[in-house]
Amino acid sequence: MRLNTAAYYIREGLTNVRRNRAMTVASITSVTAALLILGLFLIIILNVDSMANQVESQLELKAFINDNYDMSKVTKVGEEIKAISGVKSITFESKKDALNNFKKQLGDKSYLVNGLENDNPMPQSFIVKVTDANMMKQVSEEIKKIDGVTQVSYGQDVVDKLLGIIKIIRIVGLFVILILFIISVVIISNTIKLGVFSRRREINIMKYIGATDWFIRWPFLVEGIVLGLVGSVLAIGILGFIYGYASDLVNNKLIIFTLLPAGVVIRQSLVYFLAIGSLIGALGSGISIKRFLNV
Amino acid sequence: MIKFVGVSKKYKNDIIAVSNINFTIDSGEFVFLVGPSGAGKSTILKLLLREEIPTTGSIFVDKKDITKLKRKEVPYLRRNIGVVFQDFKLLPNKTVYENIAFALQIVEAEPKYIRRRVPMVLSLVGLSDRANSYPQQLSGGEQQRVSIARAIVNEPSILVADEPTGNLDPDTSWEIVKLLSEINKRGTTVIMSTHAKDIVDSMKKRVIALEKGNIVRDEMRGVYGYEA
Repeated sequence: MRLNTAAYYIREGLTNVRRNRAMTVASITSVTAALLILGLFLIIILNVDSMANQVESQLELKAFINDNYDMSKVTKVGEEIKAISGVKSITFESKKDALNNFKKQLGDKSYLVNGLENDNPMPQSFIVKVTDANMMKQVSEEIKKIDGVTQVSYGQDVVDKLLGIIKIIRIVGLFVILILFIISVVIISNTIKLGVFSRRREINIMKYIGATDWFIRWPFLVEGIVLGLVGSVLAIGILGFIYGYASDLVNNKLIIFTLLPAGVVIRQSLVYFLAIGSLIGALGSGISIKRFLNV
Repeated sequence: MIKFVGVSKKYKNDIIAVSNINFTIDSGEFVFLVGPSGAGKSTILKLLLREEIPTTGSIFVDKKDITKLKRKEVPYLRRNIGVVFQDFKLLPNKTVYENIAFALQIVEAEPKYIRRRVPMVLSLVGLSDRANSYPQQLSGGEQQRVSIARAIVNEPSILVADEPTGNLDPDTSWEIVKLLSEINKRGTTVIMSTHAKDIVDSMKKRVIALEKGNIVRDEMRGVYGYEA
């Protein structure tokens, strides 16, 4: 392809974009809407994924010890836990430690638990580190059997729940995205059809003077891709703005999990967005030119 | 060289447009295609441009059977055959210059060549001073000259004119035919379908006469018809 021919395609494509203004706006809006929804699901999936990772990576479980056990009994339980294979290390957390840690977690809201020191509701526990994440379940079963252990908790149930949620989000998201994708393709294809129709005389003449199918097709493909790209850039912009605002808000209020920073999310999805946007555009225009080319 | 061998065309609605057509046109010939409306003139030109494919028979252009061309080869056939229509088919939103340059852009000619070539062709058809006019600012005869210029700007070896004087008054028609004849003298094969009896009669060129899809007459230095 010659450079001036490429320039011709782009010039003609942009002329089309300008010519059917109302349909151009409609197309861009629908692509933007489709990609916004896509982005929303993507952000949720990425975040839930990262939450699951945060929980899973801790590789530790907590064995709560009967409140009435004194230090010597507790030490004995500790020995027994240590003896289980797969246990890497154990740390004792006294009732006082537990309260202090909770305070730390609460940060500047630690005043909420002021006054609990004398009637400490926090249990004493061993924090058990496991050599391998897969051993979690097995080790926790073993620990449960020991006298004086009231309860064993580990992140697995949370992780399982999160993974379940991700699965549902993925399926619902995929379905919604597919529908929006199809709608966008149809709207773009109608937009391009208008352009092709208003130029059918020109296309007819081009065919007579020996233009190849691709020569005729390219400007319309350019038009479609431009519509798709503009839509996806808009979607990225809006999404980045809203998410940046939302993640600031959430990260300041929520303590347990942090949302991924907006920059990371946008960077990860940018390429996909642009690719999907131009794919929608190319498909839309490809469909509508096809039947006009037979002269 | 153009050669039709046993060419028949039956349309979907069972109308037989042409049946068993045979003729050969040598390079550099000037041929009139005459006959009443519906006799098959347009069909022959459409077959030659591969707008239609014959039901049976073969059509050779420069030894190549164009009925066997693949879809993507068709543009290259058409680049070798310039076309002029009764209704000119110029692009209304492009100037005379741009209309002609467009035909060169399509074949991806160098911009430098386009800038040199278009004025040359404009002067050949006598429209150098109208380069920046739009088609609707021109008379019918001038528009037809532009369309001829567009048809020959690629230097095709064949020029097909489908009733090029159909919309023009007699004097203007004569100018157009003289122009076509001039182009023919430079070596281009010209095939012109027409109803213009006086033009055919005084040009004394080869005449292929069609009636109801058959060739009824094919004469060198012929006339439009005996009965009329």
